[in-house]
Amino acid sequence: MSAVLLIEDDDRIRLSLAMALEDEGYTAHAVATAEEGLSAQRRHRADTVLIDLMLPGMDGYECIRQMRRDDDVPIVVVSARDDTHDIVAALEAGADDYVVKPVKVKELAARLRALRRRGRAAGLPTAPATSVLTFGDLEVRPEAGEVRLGGEPVAVTRTEFRLLCELADHPGLVLSRQQLLQRVWGHEFGDERVVDVHVGRLRQKIERETGHPRHLVTVRGLGYKLQP
Amino acid sequence: MRPIGLRARVSAAFALGALILSACISLVSYESVRNTLFAERERTAVRATYYDATVVNAGIAGPAPDVLEVLRSLDTGTDRYVLLHLDGRWHSRSAEPAVDTAVPPEMQEMTAGGEAGAQRIRRDGRPALVVGVPLAGSAVFYEIISLGELERTLQTLALVLTAVAIMVAAAGAALGWYVTRHALRPVTAVAEAARGIAGGDLTTRLDPATEPDLAPLSAAFNDMADELARRQERDRRFAADVSHELRSPLQTLEAAASVLDKRRDQVDERAGAAITLVTAEIARFQALVNDLLELARTDQPAHREQVDVVVLAERVCRSRSLPADLVETAPGTPPTWSVDRRRVEQALGNLIDNAVRYGGGPLAVRIAPGYLEVDDAGPGVAEKDQATIFDRFVRGPASHARGDGDGTGLGLAIVAGHAAAHGGEACVTGRPGGGARFRFTLPGFDK
Repeated sequence: MSAVLLIEDDDRIRLSLAMALEDEGYTAHAVATAEEGLSAQRRHRADTVLIDLMLPGMDGYECIRQMRRDDDVPIVVVSARDDTHDIVAALEAGADDYVVKPVKVKELAARLRALRRRGRAAGLPTAPATSVLTFGDLEVRPEAGEVRLGGEPVAVTRTEFRLLCELADHPGLVLSRQQLLQRVWGHEFGDERVVDVHVGRLRQKIERETGHPRHLVTVRGLGYKLQP
Repeated sequence: MRPIGLRARVSAAFALGALILSACISLVSYESVRNTLFAERERTAVRATYYDATVVNAGIAGPAPDVLEVLRSLDTGTDRYVLLHLDGRWHSRSAEPAVDTAVPPEMQEMTAGGEAGAQRIRRDGRPALVVGVPLAGSAVFYEIISLGELERTLQTLALVLTAVAIMVAAAGAALGWYVTRHALRPVTAVAEAARGIAGGDLTTRLDPATEPDLAPLSAAFNDMADELARRQERDRRFAADVSHELRSPLQTLEAAASVLDKRRDQVDERAGAAITLVTAEIARFQALVNDLLELARTDQPAHREQVDVVVLAERVCRSRSLPADLVETAPGTPPTWSVDRRRVEQALGNLIDNAVRYGGGPLAVRIAPGYLEVDDAGPGVAEKDQATIFDRFVRGPASHARGDGDGTGLGLAIVAGHAAAHGGEACVTGRPGGGARFRFTLPGFDK
């Protein structure tokens, strides 16, 4: 049974969402503030985190940033705000996915399941542990869960890693944002900004010049591809 | 008639001013040069004539002088003719006819009175000068000096001065054009800034320091931009607040209803029916809130990007469990359009939902350069309703007939709003063969 940490200041939402998530088979630990959430995650690490953005005291963005410092746990924002500005800011802070309230419990559960999937390692347990996908000075080791740039290991979150693996599995091939949303986030028809922000986050880690990406390039009107 | 622009008027005024000025200067200088040259020429001619007269006077002093020989001994060059009136007869060096009429009669009278004089005449259509000097006895010596060369010089001068005047006028026009461009540059900056604001960039400001003369305009413009930005921010915040206040309780309802729904088998039939109702109404309430918020934001400018509209339309169909081959692409349709992806997707989705709900399902989703169309085979829209069907909360008879209140009454208003954000519009006509044809246009799709 997987554990969910729910950070939500509205008592009624917290209570009802925790109940509904337990019905879906999760153990839910619900707290009301970002501070409580951070210390709860340190004490007893949950498998996924659901967080509201407007919280008393420390806000959701800061909480995501602090949690991201030493934790690659999938973080899903559950917020009533649906401004592009808010969504992009939350994703840039390090969130993996974003849903706007009110979200259907079934859909939320599906998204959590998708994010819980590991990279290729879990899907293909028989694959050789040594497989290396090389793109110039960029190396992706799907089974080992490693990314190296010029030989140096690069720290990426679980979702960033799965996005990179998906692109690395199709070297030189353009994947549309919708394809990536489906394969990495498990969204049937989702918000493409999620992909764009994750690509941006990845570029900051694997590109020497973020403004002129060499490996992870945008193909105008089509999508993204990974190249040497 | 289109009014003449400020720049053209200023340039014309500059040109006219320059022309008048240069024409005056040219005229004055032409006149003074002309007078000086003529006076100079006249003085020289008179001096030469007196000298020649002395020679002739000495030559004819003796008895029975050879007049022709005397006249021939004069060094006159080609532009001077000499005439001698002696004893009532005219003598000249060549046997020129009508030499006697060459000297005007008033001149002859004056010299007959013993006075020397000079007069300008025209001879064979060319200007000339006649100088008459009375000699001893009744003889009078005349010299006719051609002024043709002088006239040619003056013609050249006039030509040059005219050309200069025209050039000065042209230079004046060019100067006017250049000066007004500089003068109008700050105004151009204001126009560009206004365009920026109309395009949605509310951070555009003018710097009053760069153009002190236009500081009040810059300041007023900046105030307007500030006020617009404040107002938009207030609206945005209000929409965000409303959305938060409405969506939070909806989340509780949604989660609680899901908990109830899981336990449907533990309650009796009536409670089960109530749970079904609550769940359905929560869904409708949710749709209504989403549509209202969307509508509140439709006046924001479109966020254009390159979008493959065919792929988008096929996705919209598939997401509604409709076959993707409903999508028809007209020939000449560019593959990618510069449009707001999210809004076009929503507008098209709303039209298709509308066709599913009230039109018996869409027959075709047509993509043609600049517009999208959805055809259905329903009862169509009566002509009197065609104008109002895009208003908020307006439902056609088809909607009332169904009575299930599935839609929010805002779907088509949102379509119209999204089309307007692109500078286009939404409309409905009858489909040939029955049914309705909804269309929304997206100008600027090919930028």
